[in-house]
Amino acid sequence: VNKYQFTCGSGKLDTTIEKAGQGWRVTIGQSVYEVEALSDGLFALTGGDRRLFVAGVKHKGIYYVDLGRVQLELTEASDAASIGVADEQHRVKDKVFAPMPGRVVKIMVSVGDLVTERQQLVIVEAMKMENPVLAPAAGKVKAIHFAQGDQVDTESPLVELEL
Amino acid sequence: MMSQLFKKILVANRSEIAVRVMRACKSLGIPTVAVYSEADAHSKHRLIADQSVLIGPPSPRESYLNIEKIISAAKQTGCDALHPGYGFLAENPLLPKACKEAGIVFVGPGAEAMGLLGNKVESRVKMADAGVPLIPGMKGSSTDIAQFEKAAKSTGYPVIIKAAAGGGGKGMRIVRDQSQLADALGAARREALNAFGDDTVYLEKYLSDPRHIEFQVLADQHGHCIHLFERECSIQRRHQKIIEETPSTALNAELRARMGVDAVKVAQAAGYTNAGTVEFLLDKSGTYYFLEMNTRIQVEHPITEMVTGVDLVVEQIKVAAGLPLGDRLKNLSQRGHAIECRMYAEDGENNFMPSIGTIVHYSEPEGPGVRVDSGIMSGMEIGIHYDPIMAKLIVHAPDRTTAITKMTDALEQFKILGVKTSRRFMIEALNHPEFIAGRTYTSFIDDHMSSREAGSDEYQALAAAVASVMAVSPLRASSRSGGLRKTLVTPWDSIGAWQIGDAIGE
Repeated sequence: VNKYQFTCGSGKLDTTIEKAGQGWRVTIGQSVYEVEALSDGLFALTGGDRRLFVAGVKHKGIYYVDLGRVQLELTEASDAASIGVADEQHRVKDKVFAPMPGRVVKIMVSVGDLVTERQQLVIVEAMKMENPVLAPAAGKVKAIHFAQGDQVDTESPLVELEL
Repeated sequence: MMSQLFKKILVANRSEIAVRVMRACKSLGIPTVAVYSEADAHSKHRLIADQSVLIGPPSPRESYLNIEKIISAAKQTGCDALHPGYGFLAENPLLPKACKEAGIVFVGPGAEAMGLLGNKVESRVKMADAGVPLIPGMKGSSTDIAQFEKAAKSTGYPVIIKAAAGGGGKGMRIVRDQSQLADALGAARREALNAFGDDTVYLEKYLSDPRHIEFQVLADQHGHCIHLFERECSIQRRHQKIIEETPSTALNAELRARMGVDAVKVAQAAGYTNAGTVEFLLDKSGTYYFLEMNTRIQVEHPITEMVTGVDLVVEQIKVAAGLPLGDRLKNLSQRGHAIECRMYAEDGENNFMPSIGTIVHYSEPEGPGVRVDSGIMSGMEIGIHYDPIMAKLIVHAPDRTTAITKMTDALEQFKILGVKTSRRFMIEALNHPEFIAGRTYTSFIDDHMSSREAGSDEYQALAAAVASVMAVSPLRASSRSGGLRKTLVTPWDSIGAWQIGDAIGE
């Protein structure tokens, strides 16, 4: 019997897993699931009277799981410490990052401006589309680190806010 | 047995459409040549082709948009025909012109018809003369904002700004009142310049809640032109289609016949040859307006193929080789119902923001009447350089209700991990009561899909159950999925494990 703790978005899930016949029995709270690992990253998941075909792959410390209707990304507690720094940075609301590498085509705010949550700050062009970068929270623009026309990556903040 | 139509065809494109065109060539017994950029060294289209030529760095301007390099690749490999796919150079009249000069047959319309129809401003004038109904708007273009303000006032807000060279929603902005006009004009010009190298834009009345109905046409070099019925493409985000179907629930036989006649009229007025698409907007009163003609094979062409049984890319090649449309295309009918869903690398749960990353798992759906046109494989990188379309899923069923159910199941089977997709969004759209009722307008997504429920905790538990198995038994769970290719993929990979002489005694 093994125990794990997964984080999925804001949710934390404690699981208990043991061998059962061809596959595994996983208990989460009151629910019991039977899981069989098939080839090529596919799993058959049975819970109650429903069976789902699920795809699952662990890549760079993240568990990618496809349940048919939804896809979720999970991290496991003992892996969490080693997950990339960039991901952690994105959770800090006073630093705003580009969602993907691209080119700054328009800056819509100036230092000192008061902005509201989800207000457009910058437009980054990537994949031939203009993608607005929104304020993650209300605040005051403290610094803008790029100019129109600059190439940006996802590692350094575009805009810093004072919350 | 027909003699081979061409010696060898170069496909001047990438990803799923390049693969699709190569499949048609293979079915005709014609060898193919791929061109690829440095970013596409591991791409599927490069591997499917019999030969491939590296044409430059990732930037489209230095590779897939570089006519000189593409023509030189065609000459170097002995190609006598070139298929442009869609996007990139497909609607640039300089490409058919360059092909002609190089003695290579262009699989598509002539440069002149393409040039006329590619300019939305000129084609509006031409189609008005031909008696095709048009959306009210500016007669020509202008660089003077006052002209735009004047035109907007006379047609009334809301208005839409479009790129003269436009398509695919790029360089397009809806303007609801005068205060937004200047900003929208600037953004549309920037996007148009970037996408098409031309910042000419014009303005027309924005029709609220129309349906987008287009007709597939096919014209040979002997004066024959037919239509292959409609496709309804009203479900769009950012003015880009995401779900298409045929037949449309909005057309009856009489309206279909009238629009079909006008579609053929548009193609003939432009002196068009090969496959093309005439787009109309249809309002709630049943009045339709000519929008534009697309002078290429469309992304959504497979749904027409499913209901008519015609391979449009094969027909493109036959027409380009000079064959007449002939008896095989007489008495076509629409059999059953087909739907297409586009799998883009984008986040359907976050404003369709493009998503980049490595495809860590890829498995396609299966079943009768299920078709996948795909440009990707497990292990591939989805980067920032190109359009984020990865694959298209098409289903064919006897009726619309069954097609919706079948598509829902097929989407659930279609697993792409590593980048985000709009799959869940599409499943919810298809199963929305308004979609099921056939009330599909271009405002569908804004009207019905703006507030959606978040994923339930039940899903998280299911995911955690599977993740637990991956954690407890990493080798067993991923030993055969760990096929993330670190090195160059070669055609030999697809052959699988084999050993000469090993089969004896089995």
